[in-house]
Amino acid sequence: MSTSTAKQTSSLTFKRRKLRAPYLLLIPAVGILVIGMGYPLVWQIVTSMQEFGLQQQFGKPAPFVLFDNYIELATKASLWVVVGKSILFCLVTAVVTLAVGLALALLMNAVSKGPRLVLQVALLLAWSMPVVAAMTVWIWLFDRRRGAINYLLDAIPGVDMNRFDWLENPLTFFAVASIIVIWMSVPFVAFSAYAGLTQVSEEVMEAAQLDGANGWQRFWGIILPMIRPVIAIVFLLQIIWDLRVFTQITMLQDAGSKSSEFDLLGTYIYKLGTKAQDFGMASAVSILVLAITIILSWFYIRSLLKEDES
Amino acid sequence: MKRKFVAAAAATAAVLILAGCATSTPTPADEGGEDITLWLNGGDTPETLRDYLKTEYADATGGTLTIEEQSWTDALAKLTTALPDAENTPDVVEIGNTWSPTFTNAGAFTDVSDLYDELGGSKLLPSFVEVGEVDGANFALPYYFGSRYAFYRKDIWEKAGLTVPTTLAEFNESAAKLKTDSQSGFYIGGEDWRNGVSWIFANGGDLAVKDGDEWKSSLADPKSVEGLEQLQTLFADASLAPVTEADSTPWVNINDNESTGKPEAATIIAPGWAHWSIGDLAPDPADDTKTIATWNDDVFGTFVLPGADGGVAPVFAGGSNIAISAASKNQAASKELLKIVFSADYQQLLGENGLGPANLDYASSLGDDQFAAALIESAADSKLTPAAPGWAAVEGSGLLEEFFGKVNGGGDVAALAAEYDAKIDELING
Repeated sequence: MSTSTAKQTSSLTFKRRKLRAPYLLLIPAVGILVIGMGYPLVWQIVTSMQEFGLQQQFGKPAPFVLFDNYIELATKASLWVVVGKSILFCLVTAVVTLAVGLALALLMNAVSKGPRLVLQVALLLAWSMPVVAAMTVWIWLFDRRRGAINYLLDAIPGVDMNRFDWLENPLTFFAVASIIVIWMSVPFVAFSAYAGLTQVSEEVMEAAQLDGANGWQRFWGIILPMIRPVIAIVFLLQIIWDLRVFTQITMLQDAGSKSSEFDLLGTYIYKLGTKAQDFGMASAVSILVLAITIILSWFYIRSLLKEDES
Repeated sequence: MKRKFVAAAAATAAVLILAGCATSTPTPADEGGEDITLWLNGGDTPETLRDYLKTEYADATGGTLTIEEQSWTDALAKLTTALPDAENTPDVVEIGNTWSPTFTNAGAFTDVSDLYDELGGSKLLPSFVEVGEVDGANFALPYYFGSRYAFYRKDIWEKAGLTVPTTLAEFNESAAKLKTDSQSGFYIGGEDWRNGVSWIFANGGDLAVKDGDEWKSSLADPKSVEGLEQLQTLFADASLAPVTEADSTPWVNINDNESTGKPEAATIIAPGWAHWSIGDLAPDPADDTKTIATWNDDVFGTFVLPGADGGVAPVFAGGSNIAISAASKNQAASKELLKIVFSADYQQLLGENGLGPANLDYASSLGDDQFAAALIESAADSKLTPAAPGWAAVEGSGLLEEFFGKVNGGGDVAALAAEYDAKIDELING
């Protein structure tokens, strides 16, 4: 938000000192941020330096332990396994989401109005479906006994998928989770990319075609560079969302196992905090996730800012 | 144009991130004096009992009693966040008996010692009273008790020439014999520690022992290990359940499967009230998407899990306690509700509905059918989980599910037991 206002004034540098309006306009946004995010963040940081358990939740004073929680975290091998799994899950899911979303956007751009409308309605329905409702259906689809997925796969000659338990093994568990998360986030990527594609000028495309560039060359050499800013921001969002994925994992755990092998960062923190009642430690892990998010997205934010300046 | 798009996208991104952060669970606050809220867990309390409470409460106080049902899986997390908050706390709560020590020690509940004698006093189930007590003062009182026993398919057992087992070893053997490719001899989920723990108890082991003032997890005790090894063998030889399945709805497996016409299991173990869900299935005349189970004595039977040397194996004592939230603004009205819960009529109703009444004077209300007999016989030897201050955290952390899952998955029992003892010790003392 701040970049947009700053950008418009940058061409008017000579006037900059006199312009107070942009700063006044910033106040509501910054205010909301400070109240909405600042308070929980400060609380989180303070708690992460305390020994805060159930007794403290019911009013006992919480002793400050400074960085003890963080030191304990750093030496906890099980946490780093979860961190590794979460990052891998997030990257794989975000990349596949992006690829599928982009492909659908190209499809929307290529087909005529009728099919495009059908595609858009289908995507919108997937996007607007409440998570819990969608998850319930997905869990039924992958059900061990009566799931449609096992039924269909089993119908293929030579494939024995009768009663295959998708949620029993971490690898298939996360594959299912990934498919569901991708299904839920593809519409956003597809629509954003499609919006970007409509900005690619027809003249350029026609000229390239006349010069003999084939479809792949046009995509790689013209379309992709032109919609790169959209792709970059969408990818950044996917990374942030997929890193803190919670609902899908926790609902799959309800259907399968709550064992720690099936944890990603979101469920790990939830279990540590509200279930094992160690709020201090859970806050420390949350701060760690915040740090990981910033590190992962830093590269993108920087390149976005650079693009803005150029 | 491109720039504008980026800016718009960035702004959208910020809004979306903000929106994603908002989480809140609105609970109706009840500031209107006499209107109170009661949290019950799961569907264990039948509808007739709920209606009774609402009517009686309205008659006694003129206020409205709102009953909100929490799922057993989320109850622990919800209680932890709602109870300390005067604006959002339920006034009266049902809590799992095993969580009582944790919340009682944390100061979550109101001292009801002054009401104790009026509500039943020494006639209330002692082990449940104990877990809700601190320094002789009563905070959480028993609500109902249940107990687990085995349900079996008479037709299948008879066909295989087997009779009701009298020792645990015989049970294990028979269950293994009854397993086929499509039928569990004994259906038990790999992570189902609440039922699996009976094998530890039966061999003289325990989950944790108190050493001076400190609790210590005792899974690696030789007796516990022996029980766990028996369970591991039993799971491999007799159960087709997934190793990741926890305490779920095992009764669906003993009824005939709608598509195959055969049961998935010859034997299950379940809380006593599961018998309402077991039997010959027929469509519900009121709602044709549902089925009703009618118990059939020719096909189904019950027996109490036998002990290692005959007799009865100690099973996990299920049940709940009930308490008033210390943060509630309606203390007097909440006490009125407790008086209704502990009234003779309500205790009688509990028993008639298959729930062990908190006041043992009313135990006869359970009746004298085979279910009541099995419930009373198995409850007599049942055991509670350790009354350690951190026990709710141990349960909440899911370590026991994880441990039993790994044992039943075929892991090395002694090594796993030592590993999980260390993990549980970190939490068990609160």
